[in-house]
Amino acid sequence: MNWTDAMHFVRGPLFSAALLFFIFGMLYRLVTVIALGWKRDHAPAKSSKVVGGVLNVLRSAIIFPFVPRIREAANRNPITYLAGGIFHVGLFVVVMLGAAHVLAWESVLGFRWPTLPLPIIDFFAAISIIALIVLFYNRLSNPVLRLLTRTPDYINLLVVFLPFLTGFFMTHRLLLPYERIYTIHVLTVDILLIWIPLSRISHFMFYFITKPRHGARFAQRGAKP
Amino acid sequence: MFQNKDDTVYEVLQKRGVSRRDFLKIATITTAVLGLEYTQVGRVIAQLETKPRVPVIWLHFQDCTGCSEAITRSFNPGLASLILNDVSLDYHETLMAAAGHQAEAAKKAIMDANAGSYVLVVEGSIPTGFGMTSIGGRAADDILKEAAAGALAIIAVGNCATFGGIPAAKPNPTNAHGVWDLVKDKPIINVAGCPPIPEVMTNTIAHILVLGTLPELDALNRPKMFYAQTVHDRCVRRGFYDAGLFANSFGDDGYKAGYCLFKLGCKGPTTYNACASLKWNEGTSWPVQAGHPCLGCSEPGFWDAGGFYQGQSALIDVPGLTAAAGAAAVGIAAGVGTAAANAASKHRAEQATPSQVPADDKEKKS
Ligand code: SF4
Repeated sequence: MNWTDAMHFVRGPLFSAALLFFIFGMLYRLVTVIALGWKRDHAPAKSSKVVGGVLNVLRSAIIFPFVPRIREAANRNPITYLAGGIFHVGLFVVVMLGAAHVLAWESVLGFRWPTLPLPIIDFFAAISIIALIVLFYNRLSNPVLRLLTRTPDYINLLVVFLPFLTGFFMTHRLLLPYERIYTIHVLTVDILLIWIPLSRISHFMFYFITKPRHGARFAQRGAKP
Repeated sequence: MFQNKDDTVYEVLQKRGVSRRDFLKIATITTAVLGLEYTQVGRVIAQLETKPRVPVIWLHFQDCTGCSEAITRSFNPGLASLILNDVSLDYHETLMAAAGHQAEAAKKAIMDANAGSYVLVVEGSIPTGFGMTSIGGRAADDILKEAAAGALAIIAVGNCATFGGIPAAKPNPTNAHGVWDLVKDKPIINVAGCPPIPEVMTNTIAHILVLGTLPELDALNRPKMFYAQTVHDRCVRRGFYDAGLFANSFGDDGYKAGYCLFKLGCKGPTTYNACASLKWNEGTSWPVQAGHPCLGCSEPGFWDAGGFYQGQSALIDVPGLTAAAGAAAVGIAAGVGTAAANAASKHRAEQATPSQVPADDKEKKS
């Protein structure tokens, strides 16, 4: 197999298989997790559960440190707050607004949307990479965090880091000829797709379930989230 | 065609009425074309004067003859095509007048007389499926192997002869292959493209004929002097790519402004070829300059590498709606199954050990 064959493989059958596994795995997780939470609470609700759920989702969208609640959390864990925040913003900008990525989305979804110029994407990619390195360093140096960290957590960081790094190298023509680094880049994305349902990276899906669920439970017990 | 095998290039040219002065001009241009320094002119002259001309045998298999068409339009060096067309080309199924059994017999005679010293040029992919293309009653792979056996080197021209091209595209009904899949014991030079740039063909052939050595090759056996850089590396629209200025559809404002064609499916970034620097038709233009995205025609399997107008980063094989829905359904079913099994085992455990501890606390302890 030469590099071109490898490129066709990772963009073709392997991607296809990875995406199917991703869909399968995420739905499996979703169903099993939702099934955990159906125990009836017979106590009468203190306030509307729906309102509580909606409020909690809205509240969690406020991420700015000038809000006292957020400032408190940010002060407690400034590195996680800052680096984590930058990474998530960078991830969104690069994956959703980069020209090449939008064309990839188009080939899967069938439609496209406007993109940002390369230097801007490049900037966000660079700060995301730095943020990931900082997060990794933080895990190693913070004694509490280090005790909490298991191998899968390191794998999570690596599996997210590699697509960023290879993508950045590809844009800047570093290390390897374009088609090789491109092949490796897509391969790391395929691996990521397979790894997500098996790991905590799946939080991006559960986030939108746990937030309203917490809100609703708080509301039922009459507590303020 | 059918020259005396022992004549040197100079002698053949003399017989054709080329003066010494013109010969020296040819030698000088050849030196430039081969990318040699001016000081090497003497070496080239000596080669042309003393070494016997190298016969070229040109075979066609599953092709459209587009490569031959292209090479007849080679402009500079007129001399490479001169060497090729007038001096060396001994057998070419399209260009020669002879046909039928006599031509086949002549080919055999040339191969026998020049065993080990002729250059074999192959155009078109070779079908290996049973009962596919045959010439003079013989199977294509058989003809190739016979001709390859006595060749000094093999030059595969065009995407079909190099990597299988369109005949080898899915589902490849004739089980077609490029030369290098079938011949393993000869030096093979892949002059890739659909068709290759005429000057790349003539220059590569001239390199072997004049210098008697093979040009330096890349990992896909393509001459590095033409295939070392991607189309994107040298593209006139590259500045727009970097600035994120794209044409979104043929004929929109970005297109009229000459913006980058990446979003129209340009494969320039992964395509190694000299189009952007050598250009076509006497340096007039080339596809991307003329407003068409690069198709990636000098790369293996380019017919199967996604749609021509699909993004270069597009995924080639995407699960259909049915497959996606199937995976989702299996995921949900498996999830429901696991959840039910969990509930059942929990229920069983509770029945087996009726305890005073509330279920919630029990979970926390475990
Ligand atoms: S038109 Fe194609 S080759 Fe030229 S800069 Fe754009 S993507 Fe690259």
